[in-house]
Amino acid sequence: MITVKDLSFSYGKLKVFENFNLDIPEGQVCLITGINGVGKSTLLRLMAGVLRPAKGEIIFDEKLGDDPKRKIGFISDILSLYESLTVSQSIELHKSVYGISKFDDSLIRHTKIGHSQKIKELSTGQKTIFHLSLILSIEPEVLLIDEIIHSIDAYLRRIFLEQLIQLQSQRKITVVMVNLNFHDIEHIVERVILLKKGEVAVDEKIDGLKAKVKKIISTSPPQTIPILSQIDFSGHSEFFVYPFQEELRNQIRGEVVDLNLTEIVSAFIGGEYA
Amino acid sequence: MKEPREFFNITVEAKSALPVYEQVKRAIKLAILSGRLEEGDQLMSIRELALKLQVNPNTIIKVYYQLEVEGFVNSRPGAGYYVKFDRKKMQRGKWEIFEKVTGDYISKALDLGYSYEDIVGEISKKLNRETQEIGREK
Repeated sequence: MITVKDLSFSYGKLKVFENFNLDIPEGQVCLITGINGVGKSTLLRLMAGVLRPAKGEIIFDEKLGDDPKRKIGFISDILSLYESLTVSQSIELHKSVYGISKFDDSLIRHTKIGHSQKIKELSTGQKTIFHLSLILSIEPEVLLIDEIIHSIDAYLRRIFLEQLIQLQSQRKITVVMVNLNFHDIEHIVERVILLKKGEVAVDEKIDGLKAKVKKIISTSPPQTIPILSQIDFSGHSEFFVYPFQEELRNQIRGEVVDLNLTEIVSAFIGGEYA
Repeated sequence: MKEPREFFNITVEAKSALPVYEQVKRAIKLAILSGRLEEGDQLMSIRELALKLQVNPNTIIKVYYQLEVEGFVNSRPGAGYYVKFDRKKMQRGKWEIFEKVTGDYISKALDLGYSYEDIVGEISKKLNRETQEIGREK
């Protein structure tokens, strides 16, 4: 659905990507992660067409037509809403810009957003949900979600998540998200891509990743598996290892512990800060 | 038409190395094998179960597909998924679970440092007591 081909991009002298390649198939829910400044949001903006690559290209599936941007929903921290308009005026504007006939208000019905309220009167979370409902009304094939999700409260996040699940079960919507805090989206994600110095350092399906990244609690470092990062305590240490293999379990001195996605990602990222 | 039944609770453990589809599949199988779900009962739709568990719908599709292949579930196009009762499959499925819990118990007991004799002794003691109680109830 999305093919990033030989992409290069810099902010002035700061090189972010050079000959970067990535392929995301239709219907996949993909999480892009990495340390701050690694270029996650930049990549998302390049996909959304907000930024232009210096070299290379981003190709979308033919079914998106000549103007793929119309079928790409980009939920970012830069919300394209006019503060002085009311909610219903914003809906009308959106409808005329995108040439759509109806607006689905099922999402904002759950919130306390009133149609006569001005955008500037809405909270950040309400704005995000409203923005999302505008985006969904164009029936996007691709949804790009930036870290904005942090600004909305647990209740709205749940509504947002449920909406995503609904969409996924209705049609094959492709989702690329950038996030660092995921316990509520953990079971939606199918693939995890870790960026490091402008390159893909890890690219795994979620089930494989959970099988391969472990925490080993021991007094001495494991000899047979590469250590991503470690936390030292007075009598022992916690070693985060990758790639773990079941055959190695018996040789390991210490306890092997399973991890959730947040722990896995911080194990990778922790290694980079060390 | 019967309403989708939901007499069992499924929880998805994020820390488990067991894939989510495997966790959900086991929970449904257990509900069928223990009789909480019966022949002809309708399972929740893919969308409903995905929403309930907050998981990707593709995961539920995989679960239902595998349950169908393993003979626990029937799909009726356009109408949903129904529990299928196949006695032979049920016996085998039950036996699998029995073997697994027995294995779990033994490895835990060995972990604690107990011997062959300790384990056999403890099991027969408990078993005698249980069967005597059942005998008394009758």
